[in-house]
Amino acid sequence: MAARDKSPGILGDRLVRLASLAALVAGVSIMVFISLFIIREAYPALSGGVLRYLFTDPWTPLATPPRFGIVHALVSTVMITALSLSLSVPLGLGIGIFIAEVAPRIVKTIVRPCIDLLAGIPSVVYGFFGYATLLPWFEKNFTMATGESILLASLVLSIMALPYVASTSAEAFNAVPHNIKHAALSCGVTRWYVIRRVVIPHSLSGMFIAVALGFARAIGETLAVLMLTGNSVAVPTSVMERGQPLTALIATELGEAGVGSDKYHALFAAGLVLLILTVVINAGIWAVKTRLIRHAS
Amino acid sequence: MRPNGHEILYDRIFSLSVWILGLLGLLLPVSIVGFLVVKGMHVLTLPFLTKSPVGFPLGASGGIRPAIEGTAALVGIGLVVAFPAGLGGAIYLNEYGKNRRALIIVRFAIECLAGIPSIIYGLFGYAFLAVFLSLKVSLLAGGITLGFMMFPIILIGTHEALQTVGSQLRESALSLGVTKAYLIRRILLRKAWPGIVSATVLTAGHAMGSAAPVLYTATTILNVGGISLDAPVMTLSTHLYYLVSQSLPSAHAYGTALILVCILLVVNLVSLYLKKIAAH
Repeated sequence: MAARDKSPGILGDRLVRLASLAALVAGVSIMVFISLFIIREAYPALSGGVLRYLFTDPWTPLATPPRFGIVHALVSTVMITALSLSLSVPLGLGIGIFIAEVAPRIVKTIVRPCIDLLAGIPSVVYGFFGYATLLPWFEKNFTMATGESILLASLVLSIMALPYVASTSAEAFNAVPHNIKHAALSCGVTRWYVIRRVVIPHSLSGMFIAVALGFARAIGETLAVLMLTGNSVAVPTSVMERGQPLTALIATELGEAGVGSDKYHALFAAGLVLLILTVVINAGIWAVKTRLIRHAS
Repeated sequence: MRPNGHEILYDRIFSLSVWILGLLGLLLPVSIVGFLVVKGMHVLTLPFLTKSPVGFPLGASGGIRPAIEGTAALVGIGLVVAFPAGLGGAIYLNEYGKNRRALIIVRFAIECLAGIPSIIYGLFGYAFLAVFLSLKVSLLAGGITLGFMMFPIILIGTHEALQTVGSQLRESALSLGVTKAYLIRRILLRKAWPGIVSATVLTAGHAMGSAAPVLYTATTILNVGGISLDAPVMTLSTHLYYLVSQSLPSAHAYGTALILVCILLVVNLVSLYLKKIAAH
């Protein structure tokens, strides 16, 4: 009560309010600024035709005239993302079900932190791990000149996306009301039947978010794919070939791109493509989440 | 309704497969960490931690001290940038913001920011901070870049920690006539600090391992000149990257990877401990 009478208290209140507002405004304006900056720097590369940049021009910086299209990187990104998700989604959802529905309490308390740990291992360590273990194995067993390939990167990437899918879907399965589950079980059907017919239909939105998070992780991953795809600018035609996803393209070429050069603008356009993809994924997640909240209330 | 034979068989198959998957979830991290421990443990000696890398290819012998220092300095600067902004922003969102629509838009923007691939921050940091603002490839440019990357994650974690403080406490405090500032300082932050610190520690740990944002904004292959704001530094993650790109996996690469994983383990343990405090 004393605080209300003293003006320093009110002054302090104003200060805290202003400072926290300033922090928020600064942070959000940085977001806006980064986006605008990337759009501005990407523009020159796209002014010659967005479709040409995305789908037809090759990446041939040394040719005359040099051309900077990212079709090879788009194809690599699509192949790696699709392949790694086709592994990490079923495995991750299975682990999610295991954690939420099947595992006894004690097993749960061990597996959960392990999955968190998997999510925390730095990308460069995954890259190194794949380089040290899977790469030589690939070279030996598939008689490849170099083991670096789309397949190798996808395998490692699927381990990296796995924990995101697993822990998010586990949360979704957990959120299914207990009374529904118990009511179903008390009808005398099997657990698999309940999961198939009750739990999964109830948590479709959560499963969507889980997959979207894995997708975002797979698309934006840099160091591991940089170390494992072999950085070839040819358009890959099979998963055994080398490739260069968008992130690896930026990470490889940025150091040699003079500011303002065509290559520099082309790299920003690649960054813009990544930025748009992540915003779209996030918007999807957001839309599902708000629908979920509205349903819950 | 009794399940028929098929249903029981399917149920058995289902149980078996999810147990196998659960085992996989357990074995994957254990075997990755175990592999690095087995291969890298013998490298972790005092000289490895306290000496500079030497030899050919570089890093074949010597130690990783400049990389440890560089990583710590970068993340330190990143925290200086990100923590006040993240904390302040979360406090405003949770305590002061009134316009629901504006709050939703801001929170969406923040979540997008948190989802942006880290290489985009590297791209921006290089072009804007290092080149346009002529900070050059330096500790300062990389630290600020990392700070930008950490800001939205810290804000979201802090916001969630603040949201767990019940409205009862808040309302009874306000009904006693204290100011908002007093409420925030003495009640909200007191209740929410384990969650806030836990989110910050996890974010810092994540930043320590990430190489993409600092690859072109802050790092160099070798730095023996010590730490200074306007000079490039070495970091653990980029050191490991350079080691691998120069040569076959060496003992020192295993050692560096193991250090990165040890940092991760410590960070995870700290956050588990803080979560336990928060639960009490």
